[in-house]
Amino acid sequence: MPPAPGSYALPPIQPAADGAVIDADGTPRRLFDYLGDRDILLSFVYTRCTDTEGCPLATGVLEMVREGLAKDPELAAMVRLVTLSFDPERDSPGAMRRYALHAGGIDPGTRWNERPWVFLTTASRARLQPILDGYGQSVVRELDAAGRPTGDFTHVLKVFLIDRRKRVRNIYSTSFLHPAIALNDLKTLALEEVDPRALGRVRHPPRGLPPVPLPADDPPTIPKLRLGRKLFLDRRLSRNGTLSCAMCHVPEQGFAVNETRTAVGFEGRTLRRNAPTLLNVAYAAPFFHDGREPALEMQPFDVFLNPDEMAAPSLGALVETVRSLPDYAPLFEAAFRAQPGVEAIGRSIAAYLRTLLSANSPFDRWRFGKDGAALGAAAQRGFALFTGRGRCASCHRIGDDAALFTDHQFHDTGVAWFAAETRRTETGPVTVQLAPGVTAPLSRAAVDSVGGPAANDLGRYEATGDPADRFRIKTPTLRNVALTAPYMHDGSLSTLREVVEFYDRGARPHEGLDPILKPLDLREGEVDDLVTFLESLTGDNIDELVRDARSEAVGNP
Amino acid sequence: MRHILMPIFRGLKTGTRVRERMTRGAAIFAAVLFAAGPAVAVADETCMSPYMAKITSQEDFVYVWTLGTKGVGDESDKLVTIDARPGSKTYGKVVNTLSVGGRNEAHHAGFTDDRRYLWASGLDTSKIFVFDVATDPARPRLHKTIADFVAKTGGVVGPHSLYALPGRMLMTGLSNDKDHGGRTALVEYGNQGAYIATHWMPTAADPRGAAIEKVADGYGYDARVLPRRNVMLTSSFTGWSNYMMDFGKMLQDPEAMKRFGQTVVVWDLHARKPLKVLDVPGSPLEIRFAWGARHNYAFTSSALTSKLWLIHEDSPNVWKAQAVADIADPSKVPLPVDISLSADDKSLWVDTFMDGMARLFDVSDPFHPKQVYEKKIGAQLNMVSQSWDGARVYFTSSLLANWDKKGQDDEQFLKAYAWDGKELTEKFAVDFYAEKLGRPHIMHFGAYSLYGKTGIAAGK
Repeated sequence: MPPAPGSYALPPIQPAADGAVIDADGTPRRLFDYLGDRDILLSFVYTRCTDTEGCPLATGVLEMVREGLAKDPELAAMVRLVTLSFDPERDSPGAMRRYALHAGGIDPGTRWNERPWVFLTTASRARLQPILDGYGQSVVRELDAAGRPTGDFTHVLKVFLIDRRKRVRNIYSTSFLHPAIALNDLKTLALEEVDPRALGRVRHPPRGLPPVPLPADDPPTIPKLRLGRKLFLDRRLSRNGTLSCAMCHVPEQGFAVNETRTAVGFEGRTLRRNAPTLLNVAYAAPFFHDGREPALEMQPFDVFLNPDEMAAPSLGALVETVRSLPDYAPLFEAAFRAQPGVEAIGRSIAAYLRTLLSANSPFDRWRFGKDGAALGAAAQRGFALFTGRGRCASCHRIGDDAALFTDHQFHDTGVAWFAAETRRTETGPVTVQLAPGVTAPLSRAAVDSVGGPAANDLGRYEATGDPADRFRIKTPTLRNVALTAPYMHDGSLSTLREVVEFYDRGARPHEGLDPILKPLDLREGEVDDLVTFLESLTGDNIDELVRDARSEAVGNP
Repeated sequence: MRHILMPIFRGLKTGTRVRERMTRGAAIFAAVLFAAGPAVAVADETCMSPYMAKITSQEDFVYVWTLGTKGVGDESDKLVTIDARPGSKTYGKVVNTLSVGGRNEAHHAGFTDDRRYLWASGLDTSKIFVFDVATDPARPRLHKTIADFVAKTGGVVGPHSLYALPGRMLMTGLSNDKDHGGRTALVEYGNQGAYIATHWMPTAADPRGAAIEKVADGYGYDARVLPRRNVMLTSSFTGWSNYMMDFGKMLQDPEAMKRFGQTVVVWDLHARKPLKVLDVPGSPLEIRFAWGARHNYAFTSSALTSKLWLIHEDSPNVWKAQAVADIADPSKVPLPVDISLSADDKSLWVDTFMDGMARLFDVSDPFHPKQVYEKKIGAQLNMVSQSWDGARVYFTSSLLANWDKKGQDDEQFLKAYAWDGKELTEKFAVDFYAEKLGRPHIMHFGAYSLYGKTGIAAGK
């Protein structure tokens, strides 16, 4: 068994070589016309070869690779097989066409650049030789006793794995040219190819997620999401070059911030609310904890322009900033055939954010994949509590075919109310951790002497002005919740256990409190079961989403 | 008379005097030092690189890297020059201000080895402002601005200590451009302003060959060297998210409080290789190597746990960290922020921010420091700088823009004292709010004689 795809590295060996070739239709092209958009397996053959450890083996292995690809359409769309003759005298385009039909039953009717396997030759030995030299493929004509060419060639069989950046990543010879190895190497390269995979996620969300709501007139494309990702990571878009979207939605921290209760804003300004995860944000409308923004395309501008967040001086200034950065013009051209503008900025960031889909968690495999072994007994008990006596699922909803763990509504759970009610009356010392295992009770006066006043959070009311919405906060998804501590809209609870214990106690009664929030009287062990269930909601592709985000460099002044 | 002692430092092994250039006065002073043996103290004023020219007598100016403050003057960071010459008509007065435009979280600064340029950094924007202090020591000018530090260094945020190595500046980072946490690196730039290298701090995941006593957080703060032992020490603070955050809010944020440095790293100075990650919890900040030729130790103070730590060479090439004294009452979290070791290694000033106190410790037995003096300087207190001879001690008030006290206690001052060995006597004070300057942070001394000039010749 070859090692698992992605579990090993394929360091670049050498750059791929270009040269003038002729395709099986007789059209002159460059070898590089077939490289760059897909990962390539390139074999050198001559059609008259009869050496069973030579050309027929290479072609036979590529056939098996093609059969393997047929079972993995996503991978197949990222791969091209290329067979190039090193016998230009005899292997005419017609000979290559016949070889193609014989070898793999390839339909020569498809467009030249859409063929999954292309067969090429060259116009002359003079045209061929630089290509052979470029790859280090030695080919020697066999001569008979009289010194005349026999028509056969002595050569070492080599097949080249070439990535989209036209770099040779592996070279196979007879001894280890095995289809399983080649397929795994192709999968390993495909894992590096984050863009097509991201697009694939949007079109086919992981198990447990419903179809992604997409704007009808704005289909996701690779150039759009690539542009959006770059904008997402660009600190130059903040007023003083310090903050980007990703500084408060850190990929390695669940696309949220684990290291502070609430993220820290422009010049260190205090932000009231915990940075929500962007995992599965495609389904999270309306946006922000108070739901003030209905459109994912518009949501980033709130942050760009917020004087406490990225603090761009104005919308026009933001666009001017993007226009002034020379690396952006070609990306906007590729994505929208336009210069940088407000609409394109919003659409591209939204396109990227919609690819941050993560599910197929143990829970999903158990519930939607019908894999009874995917979820442990404790998590199953937790699920029973979650949907039963715990009443969690009344707001964090689970459907028959998919689950978003939210009702998209706003509720007063008592957290915002409690903070607003008690803040003025707190007088006791604050227990401060000074070092691991070392704490000190710091007097309230000392804390207040170095702290600004805390602001209340009226929740949904701030967006609607409706008194009924006071202290109501949007129900967040619980997917990947194990990755997004601390919890609640203000980050006031550090662990999932504290969250479960909070709901177990029930909120202090007050006007507006959601009536569902009554003490649960959980028994010993039931808190553990609920926590275990919540921990089973972590998607199986988090590493990939982080790798995807980090495929783009951080933009710095 | 001005006494200037250019660096008399010893080669890594030979102990050779590499170069010296002295004025008359300095020659006399140096002769006294030499008489004490080859153990030439490269003294402090208060804590300069051993590779740097020193002012060994009366300083002419105090340069104060000052944080711009909303609602105060032009609200911009600026380099403030204060006349420190007793008898001068402008003694104790601001004689020059140079705004750099914008707020960058002005914090630390350091001279190049030739002391012609003062490099001053911003912890927020990671910009570095290089001031020419040689052409006219009374009126520094902005020579160069390095605005692409983060891009050049591969993602280091928050250049903090700026420390002269021969021909280059060593800088410690505090954070990074990926998560604004504490993971960071050391950076080197040439004196001309060209980027040279980034050395990431060792972590558990990537120890870079270092032995780890307990944890390796990868955090940074200060860097100091002891060339004759080929040793560099670095300490550890916290990342951008914490040092930019409202202090009171942070104290109440248990997640944030988990993200403070717990390490001092011992490095092979010449190879820039981390050798050992010492366990020093509570966020060790400023590092001060002793000067004595056989004094193979340094002090640091842990800000949160309020302890003095001794980092010492326990046996040849084996460095250990040991807590040797409490600073005030640690349970009240007085927050020691700056320390300054005297030239004779006998006494150590310690400033604590929360109570605004300066404390003097007798550290002649480095394993048993004893507090011998204390004085309240103001409602809050941060940096301390003493003259070469310890006779003058300067204090400033500001810690960080969002950590400074709020309301009435937000006093922003530079205060100059005389120290006679028994008592601090105030000589002058500058109210940085009344002068519409902002918040004073680090202080460095300037002198005409460093550059073969006199104030009289310069018409000052």
